[in-house]
Amino acid sequence: MTVNDSFREMFAMIELEMRRLRHDRTEIYTRAIQPILWLGVFGSVMSQVNAIPTGGIPYIDFITPGVLLQSTIFVSVFYGLTIVWERETGILKRLLVAPASRYATVIGRSIASGVRAVVQALIIFPVALLLGVRFIPNPFYILAAFLVLFLVSGGFAAISIFVASVMKTRERFMGLGQALIMPLFFASNALYPIKMMPPALQYIAVMNPLTYAVDAVRGLMISGDVSRLAIDMTAIIIFDIVVFTVASLNFRKIIE
Amino acid sequence: MTLAIDVQQLTKVYNGRIRALDGIDLEVKAGHIFAFLGPNGSGKTTLMRILTTQFRPTSGQASSFGLDVVRDSAEVRKIIGYVPQETSVWADISGFENLLIYSKIYGVPSGRRKKAVRQALQRMGLEEVATNMVKTYSGGMVRRLEIACALLVEPRILFLDEPTIGLDPSARKAVWQNLTSFKKEHGTTVFFNTHYMDEADLYSDEIAIINRGKIVKSGTASELKQSLRSEILRFYSEDGNNVDERTLNDIRDLSMVSNATLHGPRLDVAVEDGERALPLIIGVLSRAGFTFSRISSAKPSLDDVFLRYAGQINFKEGGDDL
Ligand SMILES: Nc1ncnc2c1ncn2[C@@H]1O[C@H](COP(=O)(O)OP(=O)(O)OP(=O)(O)O)[C@@H](O)[C@H]1O
Ligand SMILES: [Mg+2]
Repeated sequence: MTVNDSFREMFAMIELEMRRLRHDRTEIYTRAIQPILWLGVFGSVMSQVNAIPTGGIPYIDFITPGVLLQSTIFVSVFYGLTIVWERETGILKRLLVAPASRYATVIGRSIASGVRAVVQALIIFPVALLLGVRFIPNPFYILAAFLVLFLVSGGFAAISIFVASVMKTRERFMGLGQALIMPLFFASNALYPIKMMPPALQYIAVMNPLTYAVDAVRGLMISGDVSRLAIDMTAIIIFDIVVFTVASLNFRKIIE
Repeated sequence: MTLAIDVQQLTKVYNGRIRALDGIDLEVKAGHIFAFLGPNGSGKTTLMRILTTQFRPTSGQASSFGLDVVRDSAEVRKIIGYVPQETSVWADISGFENLLIYSKIYGVPSGRRKKAVRQALQRMGLEEVATNMVKTYSGGMVRRLEIACALLVEPRILFLDEPTIGLDPSARKAVWQNLTSFKKEHGTTVFFNTHYMDEADLYSDEIAIINRGKIVKSGTASELKQSLRSEILRFYSEDGNNVDERTLNDIRDLSMVSNATLHGPRLDVAVEDGERALPLIIGVLSRAGFTFSRISSAKPSLDDVFLRYAGQINFKEGGDDL
């Protein structure tokens, strides 16, 4: 398996996802509703209360990175459902019989899901602008923030693929998917600073990759404070490498 | 010459309990079309999945063109095409797009890609619906698309798990004509699982029958049919006089006869070799004074072969039906 073959496989997987997206965009729109409500309703109301120390940032601005991340991660976490469905049909059997490495397949599909997730964020982004969220007016910062969204979503897609290859059925997968996503969101700095949490939760938040992602995106998009960007990026990249590897190692087992 | 497929003493036990394959030995010559027959749950799919490197056998060995399916699995995947028993195309993109993605996964060079895709569509008669979403296809169209995906990459061995399931007779015929012409053109070896005896009979060079994880018979279609050594001779009574019990027993006692039964005025005799048994039977009948207006003989079909080796019905002990 040459590097070339692997890239070819990855690009084919990304192309597949793009073609799917082009044929049916409704999912992207329906999935934009919930995050828009978070911003428009929860964010606007909480902005009036001033209960949470956001460091002088309006609350709606404060939660925008978290909401963007949540919506992209949502796409990724449920990407595993696609994999479960492909397992139930013969698609995965056939794919795993093709001359492609499992790493290329898993990473390719995770990246594909990451691309889909970025498209999701691109829909929410202008809505946030309309709601009056003030982004740092630096295109490089915004681009970098989207790169973070992409990297984190790709990682969560790999987790989802891993879960799919362990759980194997739709029902079990759904159960775990639901159980995972909200705690992940609440046990992070998406809605409130870590300092406000009870100590036990703080400990979880420090282990939560979402915390680093929120911190990076908030620095790049909202506060302009990028002093911790290097740490955040390191954490995200380590997270990606670990989950890509684990998901790939297990992937062939999905068809057994 | 290396064998396209060489399987030795292969076993597969699922979950430590289900013995799906129980010591399979099998050889497929390069360029042959090989039909693998067997009742539901006999292990056909299991063998194909091992040969296509989807999982390891519990014990034993299997290789394709000298490449071991476990040790050299990555190499094996480069030379095989595969259509699983279940649907294996993406329903939310078009047929054309499915082929395009597959051609990319398999690394068909970009210069040849378009042409290869078009050829595959044409071969399987899908040009008109190429740009429609696969979810609007009929079952037969989906199956044809799957075969098209497998042919696209011009594999050395093509594995087809019940390739024509759900196709109407004319579509089945068309698919097989295409497969055979493809095989002639490219020298592809084809290994297919099926329940359709006529397909195995018409299109295969060789057949193996599997039952409960064991190969119970193999050979060419005509060898298998001959191996039954069973032909049914039918004697139609002229005057409606039934053969009496004693004569019936006399016929049964003939060495070449495996059974004889009465069906109203018709006497059915199962024999190994009709041409040699016939004079003896006629001898017994005329000595007992029975005359017949017509004698017919039915040679066994592949269905009979299947029932004999893999079915529950036993020819020798068969009561009513021979
Ligand atoms: N993944 C699996 N896990 C456990 N048991 C399995 C699995 N796949 C097949 N089996 C069992 O192994 C045996 C052989 O199944 P297999 O699918 O190979 O049969 P088959 O000949 O292809 O049948 P069919 O004609 O119905 O497709 C059956 O008893 C089946 O229940
Ligand atoms: Mg089967």
